[in-house]
Amino acid sequence: MKFYVCIKMVPDVTAPLQIKEGELIMDADRVVLNAYDASAVEEALVLTEKHGGEVEVVCIGPAKASETIRKALAMGADKGTHIQTTGDEGYDSTSYATILSAFFKDKEYDVLSLGKQSQDTDSGLTGSMVAEKLDLPYATNAVGLEVEDSKLIVKRQGDTGQEMIELPTPCAVTCSNDMNDPRIPNLKGIMASKRKPIDSIDISSLGLSDEELSPATKTLSYAPKPARKAGQKFEGEADEIARKVAQLLDTEANVI
Amino acid sequence: MSSILTYIAIADGKVKRSSLEVLSHSKKLADAAGFTTEAVIIDPNASNYVEDVQKYGASKIYLVEDALFSEHRNSPLLSALAKIVETVDPKVTAFASTEGTKDILGALAANQKAAVVADVSSFELIDGGIKATRPVMAAKILANVEAKGNKVLVSVRSGSYDLNESPATAEVISVDAGVSEGDLKAKLREIISSTSDTIDLNEAESIVAAGRGVKDDEGKALISELAGVLNAGIGASRALTESGMYDPSLQIGQTGKVVSPQLYIAVGISGAIQHVAGMANSKVIVAINKDPDAPIFEVADYGIVGDLYKVLPPFIEELKKIKT
Ligand SMILES: Cc1cc2nc3c(=O)[nH]c(=O)nc-3n(C[C@H](O)[C@H](O)[C@H](O)COP(=O)(O)OP(=O)(O)OC[C@H]3O[C@@H](n4cnc5c(N)ncnc54)[C@H](O)[C@@H]3O)c2cc1C
Ligand SMILES: Nc1ncnc2c1ncn2[C@@H]1O[C@H](COP(=O)(O)O)[C@@H](O)[C@H]1O
Repeated sequence: MKFYVCIKMVPDVTAPLQIKEGELIMDADRVVLNAYDASAVEEALVLTEKHGGEVEVVCIGPAKASETIRKALAMGADKGTHIQTTGDEGYDSTSYATILSAFFKDKEYDVLSLGKQSQDTDSGLTGSMVAEKLDLPYATNAVGLEVEDSKLIVKRQGDTGQEMIELPTPCAVTCSNDMNDPRIPNLKGIMASKRKPIDSIDISSLGLSDEELSPATKTLSYAPKPARKAGQKFEGEADEIARKVAQLLDTEANVI
Repeated sequence: MSSILTYIAIADGKVKRSSLEVLSHSKKLADAAGFTTEAVIIDPNASNYVEDVQKYGASKIYLVEDALFSEHRNSPLLSALAKIVETVDPKVTAFASTEGTKDILGALAANQKAAVVADVSSFELIDGGIKATRPVMAAKILANVEAKGNKVLVSVRSGSYDLNESPATAEVISVDAGVSEGDLKAKLREIISSTSDTIDLNEAESIVAAGRGVKDDEGKALISELAGVLNAGIGASRALTESGMYDPSLQIGQTGKVVSPQLYIAVGISGAIQHVAGMANSKVIVAINKDPDAPIFEVADYGIVGDLYKVLPPFIEELKKIKT
């Protein structure tokens, strides 16, 4: 099967950050391959190793995003496409979905695989947008994938149980990181990735108008999350502190 | 007349509380703006829920009653919602941010060319759209976002708003789903596991959550006993849903569920930001951890430094005493 995996470069949420006058300030070098997309790449690799096929990755982002593509190639993906941006366009999920759909319009594939959400914004919108724009059957929040003949079998996490869904190809799927543990590229993979092709294309080559690209949402400002008030910490003899806290939950916190 | 439309999610024969929270808030916004408050119910037994929904102020309720919706499937749900949004043409369509909503929200926005903001913790009407606050960067900070357009979709985290009854008599309008079984390309083969017999974590007043410190059946039994005493839902960190010790539906955090109960007891959980992202809005947080430097203590109102196997038995016993 032919997989296209959409991968995003995102800021590392564990890196220190600051907010100055409503602006978010972070070290621009602390970026990672979105964890959910790493799982999507991993699963595509596992399935093609088992059933044959190929894995291409696509990333929309600024120059630095080529490192993110290199990472996926080092994991084992065959080829990358880098759709160049400046990074200052203020694109939202709708813009990215518009760009991705325009890119995929004349491509051949069996499965379009995406992350279930971006780790930095948690939007979780792009996957089903792309599916709708390309009129593909889809499933979101996949925790397991299987290939059966020309079908993709998706185990997805729903609100309560899990659902087993059978999708005819071509189809789209969004992946949870609960699906697998993405491999860490080894030296051989890293060396091999340097010889793998990355197509670099300009957004303007996709024939989209400014209006189609202009985001319908705008982040106006960032604010620190209001801090919780300082708590009490109890150390000492287990029996005593356990009983003490139980009583406080009743008499002080009123939650029992 | 302009309107705010709220999608009412049904689970286990009940209206989801989180949908009513959104409806309560929408009603307040609609009244202030001179809009109408409308709701849509999509379920095989949609009409059963009219009474519950009009209690929260919906003056028009659209019903899509069809056996197609006996299980969650994105394609028919999307078709029905697209048809409703198309014909009702609300300024804002609001959803509770359930997995069911997450499955279709982007597709609906694409279909309706609507501006969309997912998973907000609050939203207000502004000229030509909405202004919303949403947690980002693993909920470490809040982003103030604006969405403008003729149609705007928004999904709201559970627990963001209080329920507020304001009884109305609704005009009830039946709408055809506009799809049939034969149109569906994806096939639902089976529902694998279901925790429907346990307490819905999004609606639980109290939650006891287990982490890697809970190592064995003895630990699990202590968690169950504590949850039983408090009539609490049981949640888990990724470490324990991944190991198979707890059902994946019970994961709390960035990948799992976002919850905001009155009481959250984290047992043997270190407090990684991705876990905290899912529980930091709980009203009262208790942490039990043997490592005094565990980050979970930074968000805990009551921290107990100790071995959970030694702390839980007297803790449970004392709570039982208080309860009787
Ligand atoms: C993109 C992404 C999304 C994620 N999403 C989630 C998510 O949704 N939910 C989630 O939970 N995690 C999530 N994670 C994983 C998260 O980063 C942590 O790895 C996970 O939360 C750790 O679980 P834990 O606290 O149970 O385990 P650990 O971090 O191993 O902590 C175990 C704790 O138990 C304590 N302990 C051990 N023995 C005892 C004892 N006898 N008595 C008392 N205390 C004891 C230890 O001191 C330690 O603090 C995500 C990670 C990524 C990258
Ligand atoms: N700039 C991008 N480049 C490639 N893929 C993207 C991009 N933005 C979003 N995606 C894909 O869409 C998924 C969900 O994104 P989001 O809607 O931002 O949560 C990500 O996990 C990626 O698979």
